[in-house]
Amino acid sequence: MVETLASEGVAEHQSAPRKKIGETLLRADNITLAFGGVKALTDISFEVREHEILAIIGPNGAGKTSMLNVINGFYHPQQGRIMYLGAERRAMRPHLAARQGIARTFQNVALFKGMSTLDNIMTGRVLKMKSNIFQQAIFWGANQREEIAHREVVEKIIDFLEIEAIRKTPVGRLPYGLQKRVELARALAMEPKLLLLDEPMAGMNVEEKEDMCRFILDVNDEFGTTIALIEHDMGVVMDISDRVVVLDYGRKLADGTPDEVRANQDVIDAYLGVSH
Amino acid sequence: MLYREAGQFKTSYGADQAIFPIRQDQIAIALMAALAVLAVPALASEYFLETIFVPFLVFAMAALGLNILTGYCGQLSLGTGGFMACGAFFSYKLTVAFPELHIVLVFLLAGFGTAGVGVLFGLPSLRIKGFYLAVATLAAQFFLVWMFNKFDWWTNYSSSGVISAPPRELFPGIFITGTQADPVTKYLFLLGFVALLALVAKNLVRSRIGRTWMAIRDMDIAAEIIGIRPLWAKLSAFAVSSFYIGISGALWAFVYTGSVEALAFEINRSFQVLFMIIIGGLGSILGSFLGAAFIVLLPILLNNGMLAVDPTISTALVSHIEFMIFGALIIFFLIVEPHGLARLWQIAKEKLRLWPFPY
Amino acid sequence: MNPTALRFGIWIVATPLLIAALGLGFQGLAAVDSSLFFAWGYFIEVLIAGLLQGVMYSLVALGFVLIFKASGIFNFAQGSMVLFAALTMVGFIEMGLHWTLAFIVTAGVMVLLALVIERVVLRPLVNQPHIILFMATIGIFYFLDGFGQTLWGSDVKVLDIGISKAPIIIAEGIFENGLLINSFDLVAALVGAVLVAVLAIFFQYTRVGRALRAVADDHQAALSVGIPLKTIWAIVWSVAGIVALVAGIMWGSKAGVQFSLALIALKALPVLILGGFTSIPGAIIGGLIIGAGEQVAEVFLGPLFGGAIQDWFAYMLALVFLLFRPQGLFGEKIIERI
Repeated sequence: MVETLASEGVAEHQSAPRKKIGETLLRADNITLAFGGVKALTDISFEVREHEILAIIGPNGAGKTSMLNVINGFYHPQQGRIMYLGAERRAMRPHLAARQGIARTFQNVALFKGMSTLDNIMTGRVLKMKSNIFQQAIFWGANQREEIAHREVVEKIIDFLEIEAIRKTPVGRLPYGLQKRVELARALAMEPKLLLLDEPMAGMNVEEKEDMCRFILDVNDEFGTTIALIEHDMGVVMDISDRVVVLDYGRKLADGTPDEVRANQDVIDAYLGVSH
Repeated sequence: MLYREAGQFKTSYGADQAIFPIRQDQIAIALMAALAVLAVPALASEYFLETIFVPFLVFAMAALGLNILTGYCGQLSLGTGGFMACGAFFSYKLTVAFPELHIVLVFLLAGFGTAGVGVLFGLPSLRIKGFYLAVATLAAQFFLVWMFNKFDWWTNYSSSGVISAPPRELFPGIFITGTQADPVTKYLFLLGFVALLALVAKNLVRSRIGRTWMAIRDMDIAAEIIGIRPLWAKLSAFAVSSFYIGISGALWAFVYTGSVEALAFEINRSFQVLFMIIIGGLGSILGSFLGAAFIVLLPILLNNGMLAVDPTISTALVSHIEFMIFGALIIFFLIVEPHGLARLWQIAKEKLRLWPFPY
Repeated sequence: MNPTALRFGIWIVATPLLIAALGLGFQGLAAVDSSLFFAWGYFIEVLIAGLLQGVMYSLVALGFVLIFKASGIFNFAQGSMVLFAALTMVGFIEMGLHWTLAFIVTAGVMVLLALVIERVVLRPLVNQPHIILFMATIGIFYFLDGFGQTLWGSDVKVLDIGISKAPIIIAEGIFENGLLINSFDLVAALVGAVLVAVLAIFFQYTRVGRALRAVADDHQAALSVGIPLKTIWAIVWSVAGIVALVAGIMWGSKAGVQFSLALIALKALPVLILGGFTSIPGAIIGGLIIGAGEQVAEVFLGPLFGGAIQDWFAYMLALVFLLFRPQGLFGEKIIERI
């Protein structure tokens, strides 16, 4: 069911003028990450190219989220390096990653529970807003003009993700599916170059998944945003992604187009082979 | 029936951002303002002004400050008393050293000074959270009070350790501190000053900086991911919060009591202000006022109530019973309505909007 | 070699060296600044007095740790529980009960109090954020302070359970005039040690102890495997109440039972920061360090600052400490999962 729906999306998507996959945006070189004695990632290398949708798959505990956390600057790998926009990154912190245009959603929704949908998305604009504390204290004038300008951008995103009706609702009261959508909206408000999605469709029903697929493809299409996502639903992964990276026990098994990965014997043995 | 927003459409984002977007609220607030400016000074006796309205406004300022830090930014502080003391002693030293400096400017400068101290004691907040931070702020509380108590440089070597507010004018001939100041002038000055700073606070919390505070409060990891620097967000909250609390301490010493010693700002003062924001509502500007009103009025009512029941009751017993009732109320509020009076008010308004047809 | 044992061994050797270095430092300071005074015998004496004072802090801190371990609640009211217990005990003694009988009755009162707190405060607040529970315990703190004094009055009371307070002089051969130690403090230290041993055994080896640790980890998970949360909370608050009673008796008979007890008990907070919130040995060591540290600082550094630095020294020590080791000496390192 999902597969058919999602493939329809892809069909449309491919009939449109085919997007150009560009140069390497981010490259991980021989990343090794350990917590105490436990190795979460071992010698992992892959690249994310501009304008593509890259899926990272693998069984539970394969190190997918850890990989995102490394890209994000939450974890610092013991070995290896991350090249981003052609330069090596050093001493990364999450807020610095955000400054460089890396946005992120979480496996368990990480919204600001005490704030409304609108405020959550407006918070995503923090880096774009420039007025100083005294202008904010006075509010009228420069600050208000800025607030209104950014509100317009945010309203476009709200419109894009079809969440107009819950604009003023505190996010704590929203159902799970909508919370995930608000989280995506907040990430989009950052106008990221690279968008990391950690299981954007976990715990959703078929229609919600279908919507989310559509949004992801649209974001990629309309804004040209590069997307790296983790997903368990193979149907979705094979349909929407341009390339797939397979992890297992912290090692990389395979890397390539969905068809290549599907044909890879290691992957079949370790992962898809389970059903044989 | 009267409280309806149906038919009031907003045609611009600016109108949607207004503090009171609903017309009935605008009318109500205008009425309140008229009442506060015209009716209160005309009707209230000097006693009421001195014991209720003036302390209410001073405490409201302190509660605003703590609410910015604890309610909006989620950093629990037990050092309010210490920061109030900073404001009081800073402004004393300033106005004695530079008598020609305008008193409002002195208050503001003292506020900025306290903000600096606040930032200093807020530094550990980068590494620690919650209870740990609460203990760290206790260090500020005890250290600051000790410092003002110990070094008589702060009191200009007064033998009693008490500072007395020298007479200062708001406008030529109109005194707001010292013995010449009359309660009505003090009240009106405070009303204007506190209202203005409350407006500033409201503007801050509905702008970018306020959203960064709330983001840190609600989920610091997610806040960092969208580019908020936790250190900067927390320290700015400490600075703004201490600014308000410092000014409230200055107002306490200069306008409310007129003379003060360091021990007036000991740990119980910190708890008192904390109670105000719990009861009033964490993360609410209105709540700071409601909580301050509640905590100022309650002891007076209790005191009079108990004296009415038993005129021979000892003051010690009254204060113990007061403690009990305060404690019980805090627990009651946390259980029944953790968002405080402000939330109750909001619920009442929502009900009123639908009344009399709730479906 | 076992790393824990190794660390322990290092500290056993390092501590006397550190103390000696501290002493030398003070000696140097005293040589430079004439307002300071230093003598080795006096230094040791102050140090011991401080350590014994620290045992008292540890006793209060122990109550905090128990409740924190079992419920994740930072019980701000522990200090007022100490005051309340001491007041109640004095009250019963004044009614003519022998102190042993009064102890038993007061222990009963503390258990009753624990049941009431569990029913009225904790149960309605299950699964609320910890910070809300913390503020609720500030409410309990106020309530108990008021309640105790309403019941029993606010005069300073004498609590005498017949422990000798005679000074003992030891090591006369080594130091001039020997070292002066209060025998009462020694008894208090002994009581503290016994209490800690009993609690450690209780936590480590009984079924209830195991359940306690489970509850501390996760309320909901504990509930789902059938651990009766309510009972566990009632038990742990009762135990904390009795620990408070013991601390109250010790403090009370040393310094008289009065309101300031509740505030002195706040000193247990920096102790916790030093020792870590979840560690019983941490509470003990932390107490000793804070007790000795503030006593020594007051005597040998205090004159530099005009005295009374005891008021804040413990907090500042804890604050500085926090910057370097946020989880405390023995606390578990928190790894945040994202």
